[in-house]
This record gives sequence, C-alpha cells and structure tokens, in this order.
Amino acid sequence: MSQSWSEDSESIEELSYSELEQIEINLLLDGIYHAYGCDFRNYLRTSIRRRIQHRMNLEGLNTITSLLEKVLHEPGFIDKLQNDFSIKVTEMFRDPSFFAAFRSEIVPLLRGLPEIRIWHAGCATGEEVYSMAILLLEEGLLDKTKIYATDMNEHVIDSAKLGKFPLKRMQAFTKNYLHAGGNKEFSSYYTTDSEHAMFHSDIKKNMTFAQHNLATDRSFNEFHVILCRNVLIYFDPHLQNRVHDLFFESLAPHGFLALGNMESIISTHKTQYEDINASERIFRKN
Amino acid sequence: MRNLRLNIRWKILIGYFLIICFVGVSILIVSSRISSLQGEIETITTRDIEVHNLISMIRYNAISMETSQRGYVITGTDNYLDPYNRGKSEWEANYNALYQYLSYDPSSIKSLEEIKLTIQNWITEAGEPTIAMRKANNTQGIIDFFNEDTGKQQIDDLRAQLENLRQKEVTATKNHIVELKNRNDILIISLYLMLIIVSIISFIIVSFVSGTIVKTIKDVVKTITEIASSGGDLSTRITVNTHDEIKDLADATNNLLENLNDQYWIQEKVAEVATMNQGINDVETLAGSFLTKLSPILNAVYGVFYIRTGNGDSQRLVKCASYAASDEEIGHGSFRLGEGLIGQAALEKRTFLLNTAPGHRINLTSGLGKMEPKSILIIPFEFEGKVAAVVEFASVESFTSQHLKLLEQIESHFGVAINSVQGRMEVERLLSESQVMTEELQTQTEELQTQSEELQMQQEEMRMTTEHLEEQNLFAEQKTKELEKAKEELETYSEQLRRSSQYKSNFLANMSHELRTPLNSILILSQMLAENENETLSTEEAAYAKVIHTSGNDLLTLIDDILDLSKVEAGKIILTMDEVNVSEIPEHMNLLFSPVAETKNLTFHIQLDSDVPQLLFTDGQRLQQILKNLLSNAFKFTKNGSVSLTIENASLEDIQKHIPEHTGDHVLAISVADTGIGIPVDKQQLIFEAFQQVDGETNRQYGGTGLGLSICNEFTKLLRGHIIIDSTLHKGSVFTLLVPSLPDMEKEQLVFLNQEIAATAERPLEAAAVVSAPDVADYTVTNSTDYEGPLFKGKNILLVEDDSRNIFALVKVLENKGMNVTVANNGKQCLEIIEKRTNFDLILMDIMMPIMDGYETMKAIRLDPTHKHTPIIALTAKAMKSDREKCLDAGASDYISKPLNMDQLFSLMRVWLTKQVGH
Repeated sequence: MSQSWSEDSESIEELSYSELEQIEINLLLDGIYHAYGCDFRNYLRTSIRRRIQHRMNLEGLNTITSLLEKVLHEPGFIDKLQNDFSIKVTEMFRDPSFFAAFRSEIVPLLRGLPEIRIWHAGCATGEEVYSMAILLLEEGLLDKTKIYATDMNEHVIDSAKLGKFPLKRMQAFTKNYLHAGGNKEFSSYYTTDSEHAMFHSDIKKNMTFAQHNLATDRSFNEFHVILCRNVLIYFDPHLQNRVHDLFFESLAPHGFLALGNMESIISTHKTQYEDINASERIFRKN
Repeated sequence: MRNLRLNIRWKILIGYFLIICFVGVSILIVSSRISSLQGEIETITTRDIEVHNLISMIRYNAISMETSQRGYVITGTDNYLDPYNRGKSEWEANYNALYQYLSYDPSSIKSLEEIKLTIQNWITEAGEPTIAMRKANNTQGIIDFFNEDTGKQQIDDLRAQLENLRQKEVTATKNHIVELKNRNDILIISLYLMLIIVSIISFIIVSFVSGTIVKTIKDVVKTITEIASSGGDLSTRITVNTHDEIKDLADATNNLLENLNDQYWIQEKVAEVATMNQGINDVETLAGSFLTKLSPILNAVYGVFYIRTGNGDSQRLVKCASYAASDEEIGHGSFRLGEGLIGQAALEKRTFLLNTAPGHRINLTSGLGKMEPKSILIIPFEFEGKVAAVVEFASVESFTSQHLKLLEQIESHFGVAINSVQGRMEVERLLSESQVMTEELQTQTEELQTQSEELQMQQEEMRMTTEHLEEQNLFAEQKTKELEKAKEELETYSEQLRRSSQYKSNFLANMSHELRTPLNSILILSQMLAENENETLSTEEAAYAKVIHTSGNDLLTLIDDILDLSKVEAGKIILTMDEVNVSEIPEHMNLLFSPVAETKNLTFHIQLDSDVPQLLFTDGQRLQQILKNLLSNAFKFTKNGSVSLTIENASLEDIQKHIPEHTGDHVLAISVADTGIGIPVDKQQLIFEAFQQVDGETNRQYGGTGLGLSICNEFTKLLRGHIIIDSTLHKGSVFTLLVPSLPDMEKEQLVFLNQEIAATAERPLEAAAVVSAPDVADYTVTNSTDYEGPLFKGKNILLVEDDSRNIFALVKVLENKGMNVTVANNGKQCLEIIEKRTNFDLILMDIMMPIMDGYETMKAIRLDPTHKHTPIIALTAKAMKSDREKCLDAGASDYISKPLNMDQLFSLMRVWLTKQVGH
C-alpha cells in the first residue's frame, strides 16, 4: 500500500520518503508510548515497520499517520496493533533438542535446590511454559518449582492462563514432546473438546502468570533459570542490552539463562556467563 | 692477583708433593732407625761373638800354654812347647782385640786388665820359670814349683776371671738382645705411628685440596641450583673467591647468565607485549596499550602510533595512539607513504634511529618544563611483507642495543598481533553483522510464520466453511428428494397461500369497502350530533359525539390505508397514467394543508422551481396520495417551526443512485421538509414497513396507524420512483420523492403489476426454504450423540487388534461416536486391508499380535507413500520407555497404554483427527 502511495505522490522523492516513513514510525511509537504506556520505541525497526505495513494493508490505510490517528482516536484499535507487534510464534516443546538438553544437562543441576524459581520472559500464549512444567513434572521437580511466566501483552497472558491450545496444533506438539525426550503419554496431560486440548490443572498449579514489560519493568525476584527464547530478536541492541542487564540482575549465582536458537549473549555480557550448551543457547552465570 | 692464581692442578700437585715429602721423611727416619738397629744387631753378632770368641781364645791360649808348659815340663820335648809359644804370642793380640771391644766398659776393662795381669803373672811366675827350669833340667825346681803350684792357682783364677768376664759378656749380650728387642718394638710402634701421621697429614692435605676445589664447585652448583629453583631469577651471580678454573667456570657462567638475563628480559618483554594483545579487539586500544607498555621499557618519554589504513593510492598512516602527550600537541595526524620519516619508514620497511636529534620539532613537556629528546626511534611493523603500523619513540637517553634487540623481537610478533586484531575486528564486525542478520532472519521467519499461520487460519476457516458447505451440499443432495417433494408440497402450498393471500387481500379490500358504508353513516350522524344544530344535546353530549366522529374518522383513515395496502398487495391497484400538470400540485397541496398549518401555528412553504417541466407522465392520483401522506406526516410530527414542499428536477446523482433502472424521461424530486421530531438512523428503513412507527411512544403521542409511509413506499414503487429520507433526531426530516415521468407506460401497467405480484407471491416459498435450513442444521445436531460429533462422525478407523473382547468393546464405543470401524485381526490382515482401501483417517494399532506384530506392521504401512501421514496410534501394554521409543521408530504417531482410558483415547483421537495448521 505504501508503495502505491509513494508512486501516487510523485513530488516526494524516494530518499525523503524513507525519511518520512522513519519520522512517521517515530511519531507512531511515541504516540503509543505516551497514550498507552507501551514502549515499542526500542523494538527492531525493520520488524516494526513490517508489522505496521501489515496492519496498514489490512486496514486499507495509506499512511502511518492515518494509522496513528486510528490508534489515538479509535477505541480498541491499539489492541489490534499491539497484537500485531507482539509476535506470538510459539509451540509446545519448541526446538525439542533444547528441551532434551535441558532435561539431560540442567535438570540434574537443579535437583539439589530446595526451591526452584523459573522465569519465562515473553511467554506469549504459554506453550513453552506448559512444556517446561510437564518436563519438570516428569522429572519430579514440579512440586518445588515456581514458574513465573510473563508477557507484555495482557491478552495472551489471559489466554496462557487457560492452558488451552487448539487441537489443530496438537499433533505437532505431540511430535515435539516425543522428540524432546518425553517419557510418558502426552495424551495423559490433557483432555479435549472439539477444538481445544485443555491441560490438567495439576500442571498449572505452580505457575504464576503476570503482565511484565521487558522494555520498561524491573526485576521482581531472583531466579535459578530464566528462559527468554526468541524475544530479544525483536529488540534493538540498546534494548537487548537493557534486558540482559535485567536478566543478569535477576539470576541467582550460577543460574541458567536460555535463549532462542538464533540468539546470543551480546558481547558486553559474554564474560558474565559460561557456555553450558552453546548450540542450544544455554548459559550459566559466573 | 692473577699472578698469584693457584689452580687446581697446582693444588693437587702440591698436595701430592707434600704427602710424598712426609712419606720420604718417614722412610728416612725408619731407615735410620733400621740401620741403627742393624748396627746393634751387627754389634751383637760380630762384637759379642768376637768378644766371646776372644774370651774363649784367651782362655784357650792360657789353657793351651799351661797344657803345653806341662807337657814340656813333663816331656821336655820341644814339640810340646810350640802351643805354649803360640799361645804366648797369640794371647796378647787376642787380649788387645778384646780390649778394643770392651774398651767402652770400664768394669770389663778392669776385669780384663786383671786377666792380663793374671796371664802375665802366670807367664812370668809359672810358665817361663818352669820352662826355663826344664830347659835347665831343674827337675827339683820343677817339682818344687809344682808342689807349690802357684801357677795352677793363677790359672784357676784366670779361669774364674775369664768365666766371670764371659758371664758378664753373656749378660751384656743378653742385655743387648733385650735392648734390641725393645728398640725393635719401638721401631715397629714408630712405624705405625708414622703411618698414622702420614695418613693424617695426607688426609688433611687431600681434604684441604679437595675441599677448596669442591667448595667452590659446590658454591657454583648451589648458585646455579638457586637460579634454577627460583624459577629463573637470573639476577643472582656466582661469587667465587678462589682464582682457579672454577672461577673461570663461574665467570663464564655469569656471562652466560648475563646473556640469558638479557635474553630473558627481551623475551619477557616480548611475551608481555604479546600477552597484552590478547583480548584486545580494537586497534586503538592495542596501540594505546602497546605504547603504555613499551615506553617505560624503552625509557621513552614520548611515543606515537601510526596505523596503516586505506588501499592503493589512498593509503595513509594515521595516528591512533600517543604516549605522554596530548593529541594536539605532538605528532602529525597522518602521513602518506614516503612522507616524512614515518612515511619513509613505512615505505622502506626500515628502522630509523636518530641518536642526536637537535632541534627536534617536539618538546617533551613535563610538569616543570620542557626538554628536547636525545634520541628518536622510528620502527615499522610488518605483516607478510607489508608495513601495518609505524611507531615512533623519543627518549632523553640513548636507546640501547638491547632496546633495539627487543624491538626487533617484538616487531615480528606485533605485526602479527596488529593483523590479528584487525582481523578480529573484522571478524567481530562480521559476526555481529551476521548475528544481526540471523536475528533479523529469525524475526522475519517468525513474522512469516505468524502471517502464514494467519493465512492458514483463514484458509482453514475457508476450508471449514467449504467443508461445511460441502457437508450441507451432501446433506442437501441426500435430502434432494425430500426437498423436491417438499418443494412440490410447498409449491402447492404456496399456490394455496398465494391464492389465500389474494383472497385475504380481496377480502380486506372488500371488507374495508363494506366497512366504509356503515362507518360513513356513523361519521355523518356523529357529525350531525356534534354540530348540535337543534341544541338538543348538552355540551357534554356534543363533546361525546365529536369524539365518536373523530374516532370514526381515524377508523376510516385506517380502513382506507388498509384498503390501499391490500389493494397493492392484491395487485388490484390500477394505475391511470396520464399527463399531470406539475404547476397544479402546489396549489392543490396549499389548499389542503394551509388550514392545518394555521391550526397548528406552523409555516407552510411551497416552492416550485422554474425549470421544472410542466408535464409529468404518471398516475396523478397516486402521486397526490403520496404527497398527502408525506405532508400529513410532516404536520403530524411537527409541533412548531415549518413544513415546506419543494418541487425540482432530480439530480443525476440521485437518479443513478436510487433508480438506476430508469433510462427515459426526466425525474421530479419533490421534497417534504419539516422541523419535527425526526427519525433515528436505525429506524429510518423500518418506518416504511407496515404498522411501524419509531416506537410505541410515538404512536401514543401522535396518533396514526403507521401505514401511511408504508403506502407511500408501495405507491412510489408502483410509480417506479423512490423515497429518500434525510432525518436528524429532534431536528426534523426531509422526505424526497423521486418520480420519473413515464410517457410509455400507460397500457402495460396492469401486466407489470401482476408480474410484481407473482414475484412477491414466490417469496413465501423462499421463506419456507430459508426457514427449513436451520431445521436441517438442528436435525444434524440433535441426531449426533456428542456435540463434537462432526469431528468423529463418518471417520474411517482401522482397528488392528487380535483380542476379540477388545475388538468388541472398542468397535462398540467408536461406532457409538459415529465412526466407521474396520477391524484387522493381525498385521498381515491390516496390510491387506489398507492395500485395498486408502481412506482411513486413523489407525489404532495393537502391538502384541500373532503372525505380524505392531512394529512390523507399522514399518510396512509407512513404506507405503499413501499412508505416510496417516495417524497411527500404538496401543501398548503398560510399556517401558524403550517400547515406546520402538513404537515411534516403527512409525507410530503417538501411543497410549492399555488398559485404555476411553476419555484419553478420545482426546488423543481428537488430536489426531483434527486437521493441523502450520505443518
């Protein structure tokens, strides 16, 4: 859409167009921040730009400014945009090899702790939180574990609390579970209706879901494990640095940090961690 | 001192010499002792034997003289005198000899002299006289003599004396021997003593000599060991006080140490510089720390680091770090290759050492003042034959050769270091770039995934809709006959309905007609009563009559409306198309509504645009009716303000929008505007439907049946026109009637209307069909046992199980859910079945089976490409994890353990029967 717009208004040149777009994006993000307190200003620009264009396409808007107008004046529109901005790509036992590695390498090291606190930052709809809970249940550690799952998007938190996932994705989840070294019957953890699989409440009992924004909020406890998989990729280096500070501050001595399989600890924090399993991106605080 | 050096060789020689001396002295002493002993022994052997011999000889002489004297005396033969003479001559010689021997012993000399005297006495007193007497034949004398025999006495004395002497001499000899023995013992003892003394002296000498040698060696060794054990503290030096080979050795070693120390220092510094490079990831830091490190080592007080940048002609040496100087103060910002000494050094790869640098541009600034450097050193650092950097140092002292050596050593390392740091920087940059790109890729992937998920969701929804439609289609097909039947019935029914509707309309039309007759009389009579011309009624009664009249009027209007409406519906309205004089409309309306306006105290405007055509082809009566209705509505709902009627040509836009089918003559737009209560937007369409007003409240407040607008609408449709509403609540409404001029319509009107009515008549059928659709849906829902029925219903399940009881139970349960179950009793049978039929939605596979077990069967199934993705649920007997893994390896999609929990089984089946998204 924006392309066609730029062709229409030939008076604006290509270069100044992209500058203009930058200005508009800045205005939009500033507007969102000041009006709703959600801070997307340090999100990766390229990604935000694509999400904005996606929304503009759907709404049939020609300029980001008109999107800003909708954001500021149309009730409920911000929710749509916020949903667009928070990518909710997740699945149960996503990257099964990670969960397998966690089971074989990290679980033995956690076993000795009197209480285990796990922070799942950016949990989206909670698939990985439930996966972790099932893993710990099978390892007999769930009873002494507290899993804190947070996301900046309250809607997905509400959805995550339900522990209800569409049947349409359950086959993939089952495969992942099996590849992640699950040693029970996956079907013993859920019941189904015609559209959803509902996970048993005993899996949920030690989970705490809360809204928490990595871009603006502070640490809220000391954790033995922090999982933040495929979240930092949406942040620019400045925000990544902030989040790493936050994680370092929140980790107990010798606590574990798990990142997504495309992510890495930025160089300023590299020395603070040792590799436990570099290929699965599991690190340990020095 | 050197002249006085006493080397080890001399020490050993002197030592041996001393020992030999001592041994020689001892041998001399011993040999002198031995020779004195020898003397003693000789004394004993020669002298004592001689003494004894001589004593015996003397005795023999004496005895043989006596014997010879006696023999001669007796015989007188001279023969006997010989021994005497011989004895006489011999004894003195013997005596002298003996005297000689015994001269040292006065007591022996004395006894010897006594013996001499005795012999001489015998000779003189006995020997000579007796011989002389014999010669003289003085026998008497002889006899006398022998009677006296003093001689014999003397000989006996002599004998005794000699015996004494001999005894004495024997004792002396014995003494000698004892003495000799003593001395011998002393000699032996002294020999031993000597041995001991020599040994001790030798030992002392040896230990002294060896001591002096060993000690120094030990000192050296100790020092060397110390150096070794101290981890190479090369500052320790070997000190040797002697002046010998050890000292040479020590000196040589010290030199070596000195050398090593220098080497070590260089190496250490090289290593320091080298280790400093580690962990540095940018050239500025490297250069800075290089200068900070090296300047103190070189005693340099100023340093600048130039790094080579650029390619080809644009190559420059750019200052990237300095030491002991503020950046502005010293050093050019950059040099071209060959420019200045820095550039020249880079070009030639040559080190410049300027030992006196008079008037050098730079002044070294300290806190107290300025000074000029004495020595300037410019070193290029190469990597692979290319100068990577140039460093300049300045010092107030001269650079030593060691400094240069150090730099030489560092040069090669540091060139590599610079290159590796540059490489590292490049790698770091590329890494972070690639990291950013990787992350970007991931975000894009995830976004794409989200989008594709969204798409898939939409697709899925569409598919679901399609499926739903297909299902409905199928269902519809199944029900076609019923439907056709129903349709026939419905057609009959609708025909009846149409007819009955017509009857109804006819009836209504007739009815209202019939009603009007009695109502008319009521109205007329009530009006008469109300007028009370005869004054027969009280005021109250007259009022009652008025009420009856008004009510009757209302009823009449209602009946008229119903009549009109039913006429429309019954198709009984006959349009009489004619020329209508437009200019007459305002007059007519004014006539009708001015009184109303007056009574309600409202203004009534009428405006006729001048460009409106005079004539309009339409049904004038109906047009008037519409306008009347609209105007009466306007007056009804307006309490104050105005009502206006405007007649103008309709705009092209309105025509296209509202009556697009119109192609012919001009269209009139007649607007009725009021300032009344208005109509809310959501009710604007509703008001055209029969019996509708905005709400019940309105009805009560303003009266009316609500049929007016409905009739207007119907009439307008008949006239091929349209009514546009523009209304704002509480502000007023504008009804604009678009009326086309229809000059060619006259004759066809009735036919057209009939068609319209036929079309309307078909609607009940459609309505019936629409109504039946939810019924159908309801039917499906109620017909299924579970509400998730659609998921399970009609699904084809292949159950592979050998236990007949399990089969019975499972089949029953699954069929109850509406699934079609096919049973295979073993793996082989299963394979046979799926070879023939490929439409199974899910396979339940027992593992423990005869003939062909579950694992084998699953493997075989998976080999068939058509069943690559058919879900297979393995039914395992309370299995170990390994069995489960075996199941998965064999190709099972999931597993569930026996005894089966039905809820779990259904959960599982729901998962595996649900179409998936995203994969």
